[in-house]
Amino acid sequence: MFPTPIEKRPRSAQITYQAFLPVALILWLLPLLAVALFSIKPDADFTNGNYWGVPSSFEAFTNYGKVFFESNMPRYLLNSLFITIPTVIGAVALSCMAGFALGVYKFKGNLLIFFIFIAGNFVPFQILMVPVRDLTVSMNLYDTKLGLVLFHVAFQTGFCTLFMRNFIRALPFPLIEAARVEGVAEWRIFLYVVLPLMKPALAALAVLIFTFIWNDYFWAVVLTQGPDAQPVTAGITEFNSQFRAAYHLMSAGSIVAALPPVAMFFLMQKHFIAGLTLGAVK
Amino acid sequence: MKEAYWEDTMHSILKTSLAAFVAAGVTASTAVADGHALSGEFKIISDMSNPAPRAVMEGLVEDFGALHPGLDIELTIVDREAWKTQIRNALGANPPDVVNWYAANRMRPYVDAGLFADISDLWAEPEFEALASTKGAMTLDDKQWGVPYTYYQWGVYYRKDIFDQYGLSEPTTWEEEVANCQTLLDNGVKCYTIGTKFLWTAGGWFDYINSRTNGYDFHIALARGEIEWTDDRVRQTFANWRQLIDMGAFIDDHQTYSWQEALPFMLNGEAASYLMGNFAVAAMRDGGLTDEQLDFYQFPVINPDVDYAEDAPTDTFHIASGAQNVDAAKEFLRFVTSADVQTEINGGDALGQLPVNANASIDADKFLEQGFEMLSGNAGGGIMQFFDRDFDAEMASVGMEGLQEFMVFPDNLDDILARLEETRQRIYN
Repeated sequence: MFPTPIEKRPRSAQITYQAFLPVALILWLLPLLAVALFSIKPDADFTNGNYWGVPSSFEAFTNYGKVFFESNMPRYLLNSLFITIPTVIGAVALSCMAGFALGVYKFKGNLLIFFIFIAGNFVPFQILMVPVRDLTVSMNLYDTKLGLVLFHVAFQTGFCTLFMRNFIRALPFPLIEAARVEGVAEWRIFLYVVLPLMKPALAALAVLIFTFIWNDYFWAVVLTQGPDAQPVTAGITEFNSQFRAAYHLMSAGSIVAALPPVAMFFLMQKHFIAGLTLGAVK
Repeated sequence: MKEAYWEDTMHSILKTSLAAFVAAGVTASTAVADGHALSGEFKIISDMSNPAPRAVMEGLVEDFGALHPGLDIELTIVDREAWKTQIRNALGANPPDVVNWYAANRMRPYVDAGLFADISDLWAEPEFEALASTKGAMTLDDKQWGVPYTYYQWGVYYRKDIFDQYGLSEPTTWEEEVANCQTLLDNGVKCYTIGTKFLWTAGGWFDYINSRTNGYDFHIALARGEIEWTDDRVRQTFANWRQLIDMGAFIDDHQTYSWQEALPFMLNGEAASYLMGNFAVAAMRDGGLTDEQLDFYQFPVINPDVDYAEDAPTDTFHIASGAQNVDAAKEFLRFVTSADVQTEINGGDALGQLPVNANASIDADKFLEQGFEMLSGNAGGGIMQFFDRDFDAEMASVGMEGLQEFMVFPDNLDDILARLEETRQRIYN
């Protein structure tokens, strides 16, 4: 088996591994640790150039208090939820149905439609920036949560459909045939036979899409402005005033903004990893 | 806290209108008579989107609405950065009555496109004489296109304790400035901190050295593209600047710092002064400097034949040429430029900047006081709006790159000037 498990390697290799792992880990986490450190420092430390040293005073409560009670952060967090959850529901629901159709029925153009869904994933989304912005403006959806949700649903459905179609293809087809023999209507087959079998895929996809959408910055900046519609990723910059960047508040805000996807990951870790490999092998 | 603010505002409005009645009965009563006549919809788009300015703007509308109950005021507040790209669209399609913008050359695109209304008639009213310091900055093609509501001074902020330690005093001439600097350098202290990573800070130095060397009119002519960058007078500016660079007056590696990241050098005493806008004071105080340690002086004279010109970026209100309710718009402009309102909105708990109206009063703050005195009384040359507002936008961006390069590699001056001149000819011709 390759790579050889570390327990089976020579002792010297094990020691090197054990020595370097923490170093690599710390290096890897350094930016995050820095943000965490900045978030408990007072503003004065930044004007004094005390970036990496011990905080001159412990300001975690002040900083996080300001984030929660004296800024628009709660509003932005709520926006993020209102954007992310409908998107997850919308994209997963649509792709279940599309995946069912593409995976179960044989009709002309089935493969072609499937390929179109896949091809959509290969379009670099940056080139859509101007047309999508113009489209949302002319539909009066610019700077609304609905505009972001609709776009995300449309864009994520491509990937989700690929994922769902392959998963449904891997289900034992005789189950569906048996139901047909019993005379069960097609939509009931979908609801009562296929959907329950798709639970692991649904969970995996939901977690994956949740993190994608929550962490989206690009479209948040392109399609929204201001606390009425902007999600938290874009709203964090609000801590910058006209002249000064409030590093301590931005750091505290970033930590708060990063918590939901991190919590999601730990709670649903099993599904997350399943989601990355599901559908990769048929 | 918000309620207290409203109460305060209402209280002072009441007080000021009473005072106005007593002091100048005639003008006050005409203003009120005008006020009752105003009616209809009145639309304002503002870019005062940061928390404190936002409260100020909302307060202004509240107070103005209380004075003119017949008006149906609709206020839209747009993100300050976003507004820079939205203004053209907003003024073109379905224009509001009043908008926020900036003074001087920044008005040029909208004046040329006929999107701002000419308000020279307002400026002809006697009350507007109190705004004389910025009249030049509001003028294009001999007409006025907007009114200022706030500005802030630039100048040299310095560590008074370090100056005292080496027996230095505030310089008023270039020779004294250079001599002070030499003393500091001999004692291992850099004269100036600066962070040129985002370029604009170098623009401040150019504004001051150029206007002190060649005068306000020359500086503005250069900004308008009427003078070649390779002109000998421009070279003289750079020669003066180079004097400081060759001495090693500026901190090392300044091209890697933002203006905030350059602050620690001043706070820990490695550098003694900072040419900066007044917004730096709040940061320095947060960093632990007391008012005994920190002081301010006006940039010294270089050429005694030219008058002081000062950088004081001014934020403004304008009337859209497509405004529907011009009477209300003009009345609003009179309102925001009045001494009482300017005192109110520039206070320490509001914008914390300087009122432009010379009859306004300011908070007891030694930097605001010095700045107000300087701008209202000792800036006879004129008020500059800062490099990136006075110069054409593209010229400014190429220009500031050149200035930064000059500060790091002064020997490249010929190359830099040739490049700037090429840009000037492409843009202005």
